[in-house]
Amino acid sequence: MEDLPGLIPEGSTVVLGGGWFANHPMAAVRELIRAGRDDLHAIALLGSIDVDLLVGARALRHLTFSMVTLEAFGLATNFRRAVQSGELPITEISALSLQVALEAGAHRVPFLPLRGPVGSDLVAMHPDFYGTASTSLGDADVPVVKAVRPDVALLHATRCDALGNVQHEGTYAMDPELARASDRVIVTCEEIVPTEAVAADASLTRIPGLLVDAVIEAPFGAHPCSHVPRYAQDAWKLLDYQKAALAGGDAYDALLDRIRGEDEESYRERMLGDGRGRVLEALVEAAVVIDEEAA
Amino acid sequence: MTADRYEIHELMIARIAEEMTAEGEHIVLMGSFTPLAYAAYMLGKLTHARDAWLAGYNAVGIGPVQLSFTGSEAAAYRSATSTASFNQNGWIFHLGTRGLLECVSSAQIGADGAINLSAIGDYDAPKVRLPGGAGAPEVVQNYRRMVAYFTRHDRRTLVEAVDFATGRRTPIGAAAREELGLCPGAVLIVTPLAVLRKDEDEQPFELESVHPGVDVETVVENTGFELAVPDDVPVTGEPSARQVELLRERIDPFQTARFDFLTGEERLGYLEDLLAREWDRAEALVEQAAAR
Repeated sequence: MEDLPGLIPEGSTVVLGGGWFANHPMAAVRELIRAGRDDLHAIALLGSIDVDLLVGARALRHLTFSMVTLEAFGLATNFRRAVQSGELPITEISALSLQVALEAGAHRVPFLPLRGPVGSDLVAMHPDFYGTASTSLGDADVPVVKAVRPDVALLHATRCDALGNVQHEGTYAMDPELARASDRVIVTCEEIVPTEAVAADASLTRIPGLLVDAVIEAPFGAHPCSHVPRYAQDAWKLLDYQKAALAGGDAYDALLDRIRGEDEESYRERMLGDGRGRVLEALVEAAVVIDEEAA
Repeated sequence: MTADRYEIHELMIARIAEEMTAEGEHIVLMGSFTPLAYAAYMLGKLTHARDAWLAGYNAVGIGPVQLSFTGSEAAAYRSATSTASFNQNGWIFHLGTRGLLECVSSAQIGADGAINLSAIGDYDAPKVRLPGGAGAPEVVQNYRRMVAYFTRHDRRTLVEAVDFATGRRTPIGAAAREELGLCPGAVLIVTPLAVLRKDEDEQPFELESVHPGVDVETVVENTGFELAVPDDVPVTGEPSARQVELLRERIDPFQTARFDFLTGEERLGYLEDLLAREWDRAEALVEQAAAR
């Protein structure tokens, strides 16, 4: 795990996997903070605590995003402060357009056409991203978005093998496209398993190993985000986080210092000890699908 | 039979659920955190819109799930009939213009139906930097319906012109939309006071209905843009006793949908109480497993 930051060259553009509070590569985010990074351009499709923590630790020099929010817990405090103060330069792109741009990157084509958000002020604001194309086939002024090719994709998965095959059982957002779009792909996972175990259920392999550069075992590596169906989001620790962020100053510095002063194993002990991890797993089991016949 | 007692959010939920009509592919998407809208989707799915395709996260063909902060995602996967990458789903629903309904809720909405999820004040030096629109810009443009709901109806929210148009449905008129290959459908605003509707680009929002007990003047006074008021303004239908029972007992026993109405500290306190109940439910399962 501590080798992870060394795999990300200085100044890299790093795209983060997951979405909302689901399956962000949080162990990797913490490791970047421990390494004291301050040079990264993050791309976040649907960011939450992953982005807010990187911003709070001053790890970013630029942020490209469609949304950063702590949803029920409120606005993303550090993100909001850093943008309002002008400290963090941003590029705001609508989500589907950013997805298609990354897909263009994945396909290694310069742009892709789409039924884009033509009425949005974001279109006029970013003429270097939102464009139009005319073709020799007779199409005129078709809305397109320019390809995005990140240097590094940071993803979290359920299991990987030594060949780099990546399996997700639950939310994987657009991680497969991020892997194809990026020059280097780093995946943390709940467990590393023998290749035979991956082959036994190949339909769960979302990213073939040939695209992956490094796999690192990181149990509860999405915490405090969810990794369904293994564990639910830790809403209680997210609430603690937001309180520290809102308080700012010493309270937030103390939060960062604790992360910097421990490794992932100590983090897990601190956050998930006393059977807490089991409750997060039970929350998945406790989720209710309503019986339509009985309702 | 209408319910004897209901709360305003339950009326709004029932009104939004009415929009789940069997048109097009009948796809309804659970996007970013909008608990009131999620409740409406589940209500529709359990009553008149059982054929609707619900999608959320990577899951498609989701059954009606009980809303909770920590469990909705897991329940969505447990009931889903397929999963696909966000990109595949985006190409099908949003960009493939097959989506029927995905509600939006924003800081501001303008007379032209534009929504602001980006910044209050100057975009480059904002007074309040908002989260950003996620997929809302593509949703409001490409879905069959544009439904924006708000938990307050005032002139700070319903404004003449938004500070920044994160998304804007254009054009709005059905004929112009069909000419461009876009699905036709009005812009609907649902608030605690009324339902407003805009069918044509050059016409103002019209007062479609006022909620029971609300007078027309209150709505007009609290709306920051011109409103067309018909001679006889209908009253919004009240939720039925069965709808209210489904909401309280099956869909949203933790009352997550009320969350939208709270602000600041009130919100965090409410969240703590609600999460304590979710924790207790999960801890009981751990204890049961240990006892076995």
